[in-house]
Amino acid sequence: MSHTPQPQTTENAMDTVSHVKNSRRRIAATLAGVAGTIALAGCAQNAPQDTWVPKGDNAQKIDTLQKIVFPIAGIVGVLVLALAAYIFIKFRDKGQAIPAQSHGKPTVEIILTIVPALILTVVGVFTFRTIMDLAKTEDTQMVINVTGQQWWWEYDYPVQTEQGISQPIITSGQLVLPVGTNVLLRETSRDVIHSYWIPALNGKKDAVPGRIHLLRLQADKPGIYAGQCTEFCGLSHANMRMEAIALSKEDFAKWVANQQKAYTSPAEGTKAKEGETVFINQCSRCHQVNGLKDANGKAIISAPDENVYAGAAPNLSHLMSRNTFAGAMFDLVNQKCRDDVWNASSDAFGAKYLTGVTTDCLNEKNLRAWLRNAPAMKPMYSDPTKLAKTGGKYRGMPNLGLSEDDIDKVVAYLSTLK
Amino acid sequence: MAIIERPAVATPAVVTPQQTLGAVKRPVATKGWREWLFTVDHKKIGIMYGVVAMVFFLVGGVEALLIRLQLAAPNGHILSADKYNQMFTMHATTMVFLFAMPMAGAFANYFLPLQIGARDVAFPRINALSLWLLVVGGIVLNASWFLGGAADGGWFMYAPNSGPIFSPSHGVDFWVLGLQIAGIASLLGSINLIVTVLNMRAPGMSLMKMPVFTWMILVVQFLLVFSLPVITVALVLLMLQRSYGATFFDVSQGADPLLWQHLFWIFGHPEVYVLILPAFGIISEVLPTFARKPLFGYPFVVFSGASIGLVGFGVWAHHMFASGLGPVSVAVFSIATMAIAIPTGVKIFNWLLTMWGGKIWYTSAMKFAIGLVVLFTIGGLSGVTHSVAPSDTQQTDTYYIVAHFHYVLFGGMVFGLFSGFYYWWPKVFGKMLDEKLGSWNFWLMVIGMNMTFGPMHILGLQGQPRRMYQWTEARAGEGFFNLGFWNLVASIGSFVLAVGILFFLINVVKTARNGKQAPVDPWDARTLEWLTTNPPKPHNFDRIPVVHHLDEFFHRKYDEDPATHTMRKVAEGEDLVRAEEAAADAHIHLPSPSYWPLVLSIGVGTLGMGIIYGIPLMVVGAAVTLFAAYGWVLEPSVAEDIDFEPSDTDGHTKEIAPLG
Amino acid sequence: MFTPGSKYFLGLTGLALVSAVLYTFLVNPSDLGAYALFGLFLNAAVVAGFSFFTRDGDADTVEEAIAANTEASAPSFWPIVFALGGALVLLGLATNEVVFVIGLGVFAGGAIEWAIQNWADRASADSSFNSFVRHRAVGALDYPGLAAVALGVIAYLFSRIMLTVSKEQAPIIFIIAAAIVLTVGVLIGSKPEMRGKTSLIVVAGVLVLAIAGVSSGISGERHELAVVSEENPYAVANRECGAEASAHYDHIANNKVPLKSAVLATIFVKEGKISAQMVGLKKDVDTITIPRSNATSILFRNLDKEEHRLVANLGEVKVGSTDVMEKVGTCTQLTGKDQEQVLTVSIPKPSFANGPYSLTVPGIDGEIKVVVP
Repeated sequence: MSHTPQPQTTENAMDTVSHVKNSRRRIAATLAGVAGTIALAGCAQNAPQDTWVPKGDNAQKIDTLQKIVFPIAGIVGVLVLALAAYIFIKFRDKGQAIPAQSHGKPTVEIILTIVPALILTVVGVFTFRTIMDLAKTEDTQMVINVTGQQWWWEYDYPVQTEQGISQPIITSGQLVLPVGTNVLLRETSRDVIHSYWIPALNGKKDAVPGRIHLLRLQADKPGIYAGQCTEFCGLSHANMRMEAIALSKEDFAKWVANQQKAYTSPAEGTKAKEGETVFINQCSRCHQVNGLKDANGKAIISAPDENVYAGAAPNLSHLMSRNTFAGAMFDLVNQKCRDDVWNASSDAFGAKYLTGVTTDCLNEKNLRAWLRNAPAMKPMYSDPTKLAKTGGKYRGMPNLGLSEDDIDKVVAYLSTLK
Repeated sequence: MAIIERPAVATPAVVTPQQTLGAVKRPVATKGWREWLFTVDHKKIGIMYGVVAMVFFLVGGVEALLIRLQLAAPNGHILSADKYNQMFTMHATTMVFLFAMPMAGAFANYFLPLQIGARDVAFPRINALSLWLLVVGGIVLNASWFLGGAADGGWFMYAPNSGPIFSPSHGVDFWVLGLQIAGIASLLGSINLIVTVLNMRAPGMSLMKMPVFTWMILVVQFLLVFSLPVITVALVLLMLQRSYGATFFDVSQGADPLLWQHLFWIFGHPEVYVLILPAFGIISEVLPTFARKPLFGYPFVVFSGASIGLVGFGVWAHHMFASGLGPVSVAVFSIATMAIAIPTGVKIFNWLLTMWGGKIWYTSAMKFAIGLVVLFTIGGLSGVTHSVAPSDTQQTDTYYIVAHFHYVLFGGMVFGLFSGFYYWWPKVFGKMLDEKLGSWNFWLMVIGMNMTFGPMHILGLQGQPRRMYQWTEARAGEGFFNLGFWNLVASIGSFVLAVGILFFLINVVKTARNGKQAPVDPWDARTLEWLTTNPPKPHNFDRIPVVHHLDEFFHRKYDEDPATHTMRKVAEGEDLVRAEEAAADAHIHLPSPSYWPLVLSIGVGTLGMGIIYGIPLMVVGAAVTLFAAYGWVLEPSVAEDIDFEPSDTDGHTKEIAPLG
Repeated sequence: MFTPGSKYFLGLTGLALVSAVLYTFLVNPSDLGAYALFGLFLNAAVVAGFSFFTRDGDADTVEEAIAANTEASAPSFWPIVFALGGALVLLGLATNEVVFVIGLGVFAGGAIEWAIQNWADRASADSSFNSFVRHRAVGALDYPGLAAVALGVIAYLFSRIMLTVSKEQAPIIFIIAAAIVLTVGVLIGSKPEMRGKTSLIVVAGVLVLAIAGVSSGISGERHELAVVSEENPYAVANRECGAEASAHYDHIANNKVPLKSAVLATIFVKEGKISAQMVGLKKDVDTITIPRSNATSILFRNLDKEEHRLVANLGEVKVGSTDVMEKVGTCTQLTGKDQEQVLTVSIPKPSFANGPYSLTVPGIDGEIKVVVP
């Protein structure tokens, strides 16, 4: 954000009041200068959720509107406060006589009603157009179902052959979309109301249980765009984050191909294979891994609805193709690799992202701590005394009480889920 | 208890009603704690409203400081996630329902009858009941802290997150019941004040000669009468859902959770004006007094206040631009919201033009009033920026909104209330608040307020959402002025603000111990409440004044020189008051104190707790309530002697209305 | 101040409270005994309150005593009410719980009113003053009580009417009704001469409501609310989900009024063909994706002349622990031309688990595939 008029007016407010006390113009002028400098330089650089840095068509529309509205508000504010400051100084008690008891002038009143009305009419016209533009769905090129629950998002890509998606893809944590494509999110929720917000791509839209809400997203360039759930959704609301990944069309096709890749079980005798057994016993009750088979060769279908109130748990089929886990709260990659991806130029981004989580990059510390005791890492409802109303079903992930040995095995197994 | 007048009837000769009707006599104590607990005097009730509100202001303030402490640094761990959620829920609830509304109630109760030249409100016992129900409601709300945790769903309490499954502790139950009880209090209070204003104005005071403060209070009471039933319905639905297994917001049973949002905001938006309009009223008294000019465009200010109230019912969905309403609704509510900026702008210009050409006297009261004008302007303009719905979808639920409504409600409402404290303190307590401490109080509050809430504009626009118990450096950006810096500034600012408020408390203590005795008319004021002693006598006015002008008191003091058209002083306020004393009315009837408002409130509170803790407690509550209702109707009309005044010479008797 | 009677009852109140509290904490709070003791406490408290306020019904000054004895008691119909209450209680015991409860109410009400009238009759020699005293003492009970009963009756009658009239007529009827109420209210408010007739108008209004309510109650609820499937709502095998008219269908198929604005997909039947559109996409699709474990609404719109219903086929599951497979699914009721219904499904298992899942319309070829990933 380079120009925010709002903080400027804030500082001006203090200035005008200090005028009154000191009535020394020089001090005021100095203060105004300082205030202006702070307002200009006073914003964070590269804030991931900055609402003034649009990276796509929809956010751009909002930004254009904001760039009309904020200056108008700023100018009106400066004018009004300047008038106020003038009055405060000019008409202070200097021993003048009690003024005439005039009760007002209707002409002035009417002018002062009409002028703001005209300004607001102008703003209103632009607003109306933008609202209608942002609600269009005819130009949709791709649909993604987005389902919120406490405290993560599930992304489900329905079959769309024109986008190369021949069988449904289920993922979580990171929303992957092709650049230059009008993507329509169909949001809903499994429990309470959440809100989907990627500031660089569009404003927010609530995900309400029982309803389908539409949100347009379009990204101009490959890159990673941060977001956050913005409707208060209970205990771990602060930890419900999201990241949108925009990939070039070729890279997106590669990503789709990887997601649709068949499951390969780890080789016999490896630690990962032992991990698969632990996973089947401990994790697959809730977490689906597509293609995972039990000892009899029967496909394992998780039943999260029997254990979790929302009735779903993140699908872990290609976990290592994502950079985050646990509702995008924790990085699956270490700081160096994370910076590498986040700071990559838009040309280099796709390749870096598609590398996934390599062994060098894996942030084992986070993953192990999570497997050791998930509720200690992220506040969730796993305490049996608080689950009476849900019939013992968890809201979030419980502490599984895995041994360190088991954790080693599961980490080894999970890192094979490329 | 209204004093009504009716033709004389033959009094039954055999018995006196007071003896027949019951064994309970009305309390007569005029000293000690009984005087306060059982009073029905609007002035004492007003003071108690103020004290209660101030206590809750400090409670809410401590909650706010804890929130800012938690957020001063990334990954704060002063509060757990659960405690933090409770903290922001209760901070908002406390500030809105237990500080702002009662404090406005304090001013309304104390000054409204004085400003319209009445001796009390229309229903004094109901007035006392409002106060005690509010106290009980506040206790129920805050008792939750000690009984398993407070409400944790945010003050907006969106369904289904507020349901029994997602909020399994009893916190929300306490919240629902506390607010219902406080809601009864507000509803009773508003009807009481409406009746008072419409029926008990001094002779000659037409509606358009009423002081603006009284006008704004009247508008607020109408807003309450129309909006409180809606929230009551919503609260009852939530109560049935939580305590009795109803499914009003259960999607699997065919419900739509947006129902709650509509119900809440149809109440919630008028509520915003309920909070701000009393402050507008206060400064509409203060600004003319200290500018020595009448309010510029009095009818415009009155009608803009009324139209803000009216339009305020048609803009609720601007709290729901991101809720998925559909583009047409969003556009309509967006435009309607912009429209509400127009009457608000009219008010600001009128205040500025009131000062134009005036002779401004910068007392602490005036400084706070000016503070309101300036800070509210900023808050109002940031409000216009998110009346623009697409822009709002980026800003809603971020700190930008927090900044906006704190500029409006803290910079607006709280500054207005503090202006009222300094302006009317001599009237209420007969002593002048210290001006020097007042100056410290004002400047620290201005600096603290801007330091706390100013940076939140930046925080919000750069993407920090609200209601997060922690923020992370990963999303805070880079550079010296990153979000961490502004979070820290805001936290420091909140403590500067707290010190500013501490100065007010010091000022109060200092004034109480050795404050300067207030003259009768310390500010050269304009309205009727100054046409009596400081503090006023129990019966307010020795003689009911007859009103000829807007700003009656001023026009009794000043006269226009027909030759030069300048104002000249013809009388001192003190002489006017003395003249009234000399011509005091005979037979001034005042309502007697009563036990029952207090007992009834306790009964209702117990009944509410019974909904949480089971039928036995409900039975006890119901018994006490019933008992109190009986006491209320059966107690004699007056403390002692008899019900009926001897006939006046005009053949009419004055009687205390029995059910007041 | 405290008369002997009130002292006795106050003592009883205290004793009952103490024993109730002790019992609650020491024995069992949810026990019938606790309720009985609290009930005793409540009763004793009410009686104590009465005798306290009415000084045991005694006039305590000499003049009052003399006065009270100089005038005969007014005629009273409370003994009859009291007796009627007793009769209803007995009748209720023999027949119906509702009658018993009503009888109990009438019995208690009659007793209280009788006692208070008796007390008031002895208050003074002036009968108009006595009636004022009586009014004041019972007003606190009968006004709220009668108001609650009246509101309950009105709400009940209204609900009968609303359940009978069709959804299209209901808004019109209630707009007209509201307009009439408003007009009458304005008339009463603006024309003082109307005020004397207020009670007449109210009685007339209630009468109209009563007639409408009773006749609606007799004619029964509107068709689509009448029958609810008793069996497992998802077991198609137990239900008639074919082309035939049947009494069984998804019992919440049609009550999702608010959700019609936010459905996942719309299924059309047009010219003997089935087609589907998903929200946000303006083209026909042959596969829809439903997120699992989510209450999801699908709108069914019939554009053909024949009646059709939408059936959701959700695979097969084992019946209990046997190996018998049973088809599961759900369906709407028969839907006429240009009408629509909402079908709500919540599918816990993905479609590859016990699928394939589909949406079909009996009597029409073709299906819409359902994928639950």
